[in-house]
Parts: sequence; structure tokens; C-alpha cells
Amino acid sequence: MLQTSVATSAEPYIPGRARSEVIRKALAYAVVILVALIFFVPFVWTLITSFKTIPDSVNVSLIPHPWTTSAWRTIWTDYDFKRYIENSLFLAVVIVGCNLVLAGLGGYAFARLKFPGRELLFLLVLGTLMVPDQLRLIPVFVMLTNWHLIGNFSGYIFINLVTATNLFLMRQYFLTIPKDFEEAAKLDGAGYFKTFWRIMLPLALPAISTLVILQFQGTWNDFFWPLILFGQGSPSHYTVQLGLAELRFTYSTLWPQICAGSLIAILPVLAIFLAFQRYFVGGVVSAGVKG
Amino acid sequence: MATVSDAAPPPRSSMLGVRLREAGWGYAFVAVPIAVFGLFFIYPFGYAVYISFFHWGILGKQAGGSGTFNYSKVLHDPIFHTALKNVAEYTLGVVPLTMALGLSLALVINQKIRGRNFFRSAFYFPSIASSVAITTIALYIFNSDGLFNRIIGSQTPWFTTASKVTWAIVGLNTWTTSGTVMLYYLAGLQAISNDVYEAAALDNTSAWRTFWKITFPLLRPVHFFVLVVFGVGALKVFDQQFIVSGGAGGPNYSTYTPVLYIYRAAFSSFDFGLAAAAGVVYFVIIFAVTLVQNLTVGRREA
Repeated sequence: MLQTSVATSAEPYIPGRARSEVIRKALAYAVVILVALIFFVPFVWTLITSFKTIPDSVNVSLIPHPWTTSAWRTIWTDYDFKRYIENSLFLAVVIVGCNLVLAGLGGYAFARLKFPGRELLFLLVLGTLMVPDQLRLIPVFVMLTNWHLIGNFSGYIFINLVTATNLFLMRQYFLTIPKDFEEAAKLDGAGYFKTFWRIMLPLALPAISTLVILQFQGTWNDFFWPLILFGQGSPSHYTVQLGLAELRFTYSTLWPQICAGSLIAILPVLAIFLAFQRYFVGGVVSAGVKG
Repeated sequence: MATVSDAAPPPRSSMLGVRLREAGWGYAFVAVPIAVFGLFFIYPFGYAVYISFFHWGILGKQAGGSGTFNYSKVLHDPIFHTALKNVAEYTLGVVPLTMALGLSLALVINQKIRGRNFFRSAFYFPSIASSVAITTIALYIFNSDGLFNRIIGSQTPWFTTASKVTWAIVGLNTWTTSGTVMLYYLAGLQAISNDVYEAAALDNTSAWRTFWKITFPLLRPVHFFVLVVFGVGALKVFDQQFIVSGGAGGPNYSTYTPVLYIYRAAFSSFDFGLAAAAGVVYFVIIFAVTLVQNLTVGRREA
């Protein structure tokens, strides 16, 4: 049956197919709009609640009554979010900077410079990806305790100075840059550091952007290590994520404040995402192709 | 290339000097990263195993000698068993659901619909937003008098009922991670050649059949990648259970996961030896799961 219909003509089937195409499109729109709504409602609801009063926060109403900014003001003043934001931003900026320089230098060396043991050392870099946080948690905590680095920022910065993922990212990008650029620099008498700093690093701008954006997001969102290193009695070092958890544990019914705090914990990453979407999406997809 | 340098050999001493200089700079450039990785990843691996054989408290090694007592304590601890059961239930729930939702969204987005970039971003965003904030928002919406219960007309406290909390977290994390899975499937779908579909269209194969007979099998590399990466990720779940239970693992141990068990052994019981042993045991379990995945699904893949 099917075979004959194909053989005789494709023409008569076009209206049918067009109709099914229309139905499929309509279904597709219905699905994406429905799912998008389910994805958006929680955020919108959180935003609305953050402008409500505490008694009003348990009402199902779209318009806050009365409308108030008190939650936003009090988490800033009474619940220390100003300090949490400063701490999170400080850590994120320092760690992004360190990763950029160290992963850049290391990635360049592994991609371009020849030295005995290079392959072995690179294997060690990849090996770090095999060591999960829950295994190194105890030894790292013990080591940092012995060095008096618990409860201050330097301990957290030390263990996050550079990640294998970032170093790998930079190395892979440097491998794609033609060698002509460096050879020209060498003919001009530039040393290795100058070649790296003046020639290679500017050429690696796409990889640098990815590193900066993803590392900022990672450090800003990090909960596990700040909890381990600052959660044992160092509230002055709390990051936004830790402060938000603390707010929720201590004042479990202050929903307007909790909602405002949640939005603060999300907003910087949302802003970066809206501005640099393609780096997020591109990073994920390239990892997928590799896999 | 070798022949070129053979044809015009530079003075040997300067060649050696150049090589030495290059090696020197190479070591200098990788020194700090290698030190960081050695100190905070490779060395701790061995140190964790070492600690696991001692009574080890907040002040360091304690009297009582060494032995495998921490291991027998972990392996016989009913709370650790509960934690394993919880994480198994969670993983077996969240991974298939995330894959199904991620693939469905990818199939829909992959069609020529208007605003697909917008929808793609909207579905992806929860994946990169702070897990603490997302979990907190979920606690608000699924509270006993929260929005969700008002809509469905119930009063169930989803995140504080022992029998429901694992599935509440499954639902929550399906929502947050399916966007990432969708991106992987989109990349996979775009890698499938159009010729395959044209051949199917000529045969008048239905869309449903085309999907199951052609698209789904061709996406196999993506299935495998997602299964391994997100499966291992699910086994390490921690933030959500910590936020939901205030770090306590309740009610009735229902939010205990192995990573939370390790955390609590260390920072609630201050038994670092036990925590280290649990870390080693769980590392071995995850390693074994990955190995099995590679040997079963992965072998067919190759």
C-alpha cells in the first residue's frame, strides 16, 4: 500500500502533510509557552512576594497589598546582605583573576612549550578531575586548619587559585592558534612571557571570555566550600549563598525577605547570562560534542 | 620538518641553550597550577585514605591506634544505608525524567518556531542560577500554604514530609537541569544529517516512527554522555537536601545523602576519621557505577 502511493505520486499528499505540519507547529507553540510559563512563574511569584508584607506573603494575590520595599531595605540593613554581596564579589573577582592568569600561563606552556615531563604533568592535571569534592573535603579541611586558613578568605582563594577545567580550556584554545604569530614575535626578539602576554593572550579572547563568565558564575553560586570553610562560625565571611541559607534557617517565615535574598543571589548571574548568552550555550555545546 | 633542520644545523651549544631556556619557562609557567593540583587534589586523595584508618577529631589524630574500624562503622551504619537508598531513589528518578524532558524540549525547540532562541534561553536559565536560591524559592512555593498547594487545593508540606521529599527534590532538579540536557540534545539533533529524514519522508514514515526508528537511536552518543555525566552528578547531590533540611537530613533521615552523611560526620559529630572513610567508600561506589556504565552502555556505544 505505502509503496504504491509513493510510486504513483507525492503531490496528493502535500495538503495532508501541510495540515499535519500546521498541527505540529501549533502543538510546539503550546508546549514551549506552557513550559516557559512553568519555568517563569516561580521567579515572577518570588519577585511579587518580595514587595509584600509578611502577613500578605501567604496570600495568593498578584498585586502586593500594601506594596512595600521594606523586605529589600531590611535584608540590606538588618540581615547583612550588603556584607554578603561584598564578600561574594570580592571572592569572585579575585578567583576569576587568578584563574585567568594561572590557567592562561599553564595552558600556554602545555600547548606550546617543550619541557621534559610535560605529558606526565598534564596527566596529573586531568587526574584532578577524578578527585571528587566529597573525598578531598576532610583532608583539605584538616590541612587548612593546620595552616590556620579556616574562616578567612585566603584559604578559600588558595584552593580555588586555578582549576583543571580552566587550564584545559585555555590549552585547547591555544592549540588552535597558528604558530606563525609566535614565530614572528620570536624573530622580533620577544621572550616567552612577552610572547604569551602580548601575542597569545589577546588572541585567546574567546576562551578568556568563557573562562571569566563561567568561573564568575561558579564562584558566585558556590555553596559547598564556603559552607565548609566559613560555615563553622565565621559569619563575617558569609557569601550571598551562605547568608541566604542562614536567613532561611533562622527566620523561616520571613518570606518577603527570603524572596528578596533569593533574587539577589540570582540577579548577577542573570545579568551576565542575558549579556553573554552565547558563551554559556557555546561552552555547553562544545563540551557535548567532545563527549 | 626534521629534514629542514638537518640541512642547516645551528651551532649545537646555542640550540641546547634555547631548549633549556624553553624548558625553564615551561616549568615556571606550570609551577603554580601543578602545586595547587598536587596540594589540594592529588595529595588529599592519599591523605583521605590515611585519615580514614585513625580515630581523628577536630584537633587531629587521637589515641586508639589505626585500623579499619571506621570502615566497618560506615558499612554497618543504618544511616549510611538510608543515605545510599535515598540517593539511589533520587538518581533513578531524576536522570530518566531529566533526559525525557530535556529531549522533548530539544525536539520542540529544534523545529522552525518563532522565538526559539528566547525559549532555549528561558529553559536553560534555571541550570545556571544559584541552587540555594532555587531551592529556597521551591520551599516557598511548595510550602503547606504556598502557591502550589493553593492551586491544587491541598495542604501537603511537600519538602517536610518524609515520604514525599525525595520526589519533591526530583521534581525540583528535573526543572533545573533539563535545560542543560536540552542543549546537549539540540547539538545532537543538529548533527543528524537531513538526508536521513528526507529518506524517511519519501517512505511516508510517520513522525512517531521516524523518531523512534531514526532520531532516537542516532542520538545514542548524547544519551550515553548525559547518562554518565548527569548520573554521577545526581549521586553527588547535596545543596538541595542541605537547604531543605537545614543541614540535618530530616525528617526521619529522608534527606540524608552520602555527601550529607560525610558532611555531618565531620561537622556535626566531629568524627573526621569516619567522614574520610565514608568519602573513600562512596568514591569507590561511584567509580564502580561509572565502570559498569562504561562496560554496558558504553561498550555498545563504541
